[in-house]
Amino acid sequence: MADEDDVMMKKIAQELRKPVPVSTSFDARVMRAVRELPRHARRRLWSRLNAPRTITVQPLGWGLLAASVALFALLGAMHASADINRVAKASANFFPKTKATTPDQRVQFVLVAPDAKKVSVVGDFNGWDAQHIEYQAQHRGGGVWSVTAQVPVGHHRYSFVVDDSLWVADPTAPRVVDNDFGVANSTMVVQEQK
Amino acid sequence: MEGSSDAVIVSRVLRGDVEAFGVLVGRYRDRYARYAFHMLGNREDAEEALQDAFTRAYRSLARCEDPERFGAWLFRILINRCRTLGARRGRRAQTFVVDEVAILEAAEDHPAERTAWREEIDRALERLRADQREAFVLKYVEEMGYDEMSELTGVGVSALKMRVMRACERLRELLSEVHSG
Repeated sequence: MADEDDVMMKKIAQELRKPVPVSTSFDARVMRAVRELPRHARRRLWSRLNAPRTITVQPLGWGLLAASVALFALLGAMHASADINRVAKASANFFPKTKATTPDQRVQFVLVAPDAKKVSVVGDFNGWDAQHIEYQAQHRGGGVWSVTAQVPVGHHRYSFVVDDSLWVADPTAPRVVDNDFGVANSTMVVQEQK
Repeated sequence: MEGSSDAVIVSRVLRGDVEAFGVLVGRYRDRYARYAFHMLGNREDAEEALQDAFTRAYRSLARCEDPERFGAWLFRILINRCRTLGARRGRRAQTFVVDEVAILEAAEDHPAERTAWREEIDRALERLRADQREAFVLKYVEEMGYDEMSELTGVGVSALKMRVMRACERLRELLSEVHSG
């Protein structure tokens, strides 16, 4: 009797394991609904702002500020005739870059921070994660820190983080104050290379 | 990206690449549609529950603690959606809707016999208590172990074993009635 019962359950299960296909428009409907939801980068920004952190303003901060102003002035002179869009593109494309086989583009980020021990890049493209391994800048000498990393094509907000504590906007790029949180970040436009 | 792990895709979505989420939809859609169909009894409700589960998963993706096990996390969301939808429908008139398309697709070998057999199973499944149906489908259709079922449903292993046993007894009873009647 037990064997018969077992056989019956197996036959039922076998029948029920057959695929139940969804309508052909299912994926499109889900993705349409998903696209209407806020992008995750913004959610991460909120998490970042809520996350406990220490911001220490030390002499290093003043040094950074001076270095940033100097670099900004230098680049400003180089790009005096650029309009705001051009400057936006310059922040992503100013430095040598781009060998793209995917929609992501290689973008070089540079910050002059003579007193820094560590510099990383955070943005909506890496979840505002200062520990992200691909966005850790290297010291190139003379206080210049840089990293070249993959960034998806499109508009982005980003910032530098110095010594895991001090957030510094890119002096070479336009800034935007987030309406929701009152924080200034740099902006850039990454374009697909032809 | 099709061959990437769930964790890699989740990471991309969290960095703002919305379209990457489509890979996860394609990866889990068919298996989970089957579960939703068995729990809710018709294709329309199953797709509604599944779509709802995907959009909720997207919205809460940052809270997915183990992205490598995104599928299990999504399944937990789907189980809850099916419970909610099933309970809502349970309050309405109990009319079993036979999914003609599913029956026809299941009836490739011997159309008449297999259609009747499938219809009997679907009707019997529908008549199980929701908690017993859930336990039976997870155990016999999704072929899960009790520990995994417990993790997904939040129900203790002993209770799950009891539900499966009761479900099997009830199915035998219902399907024997059909054959003897």
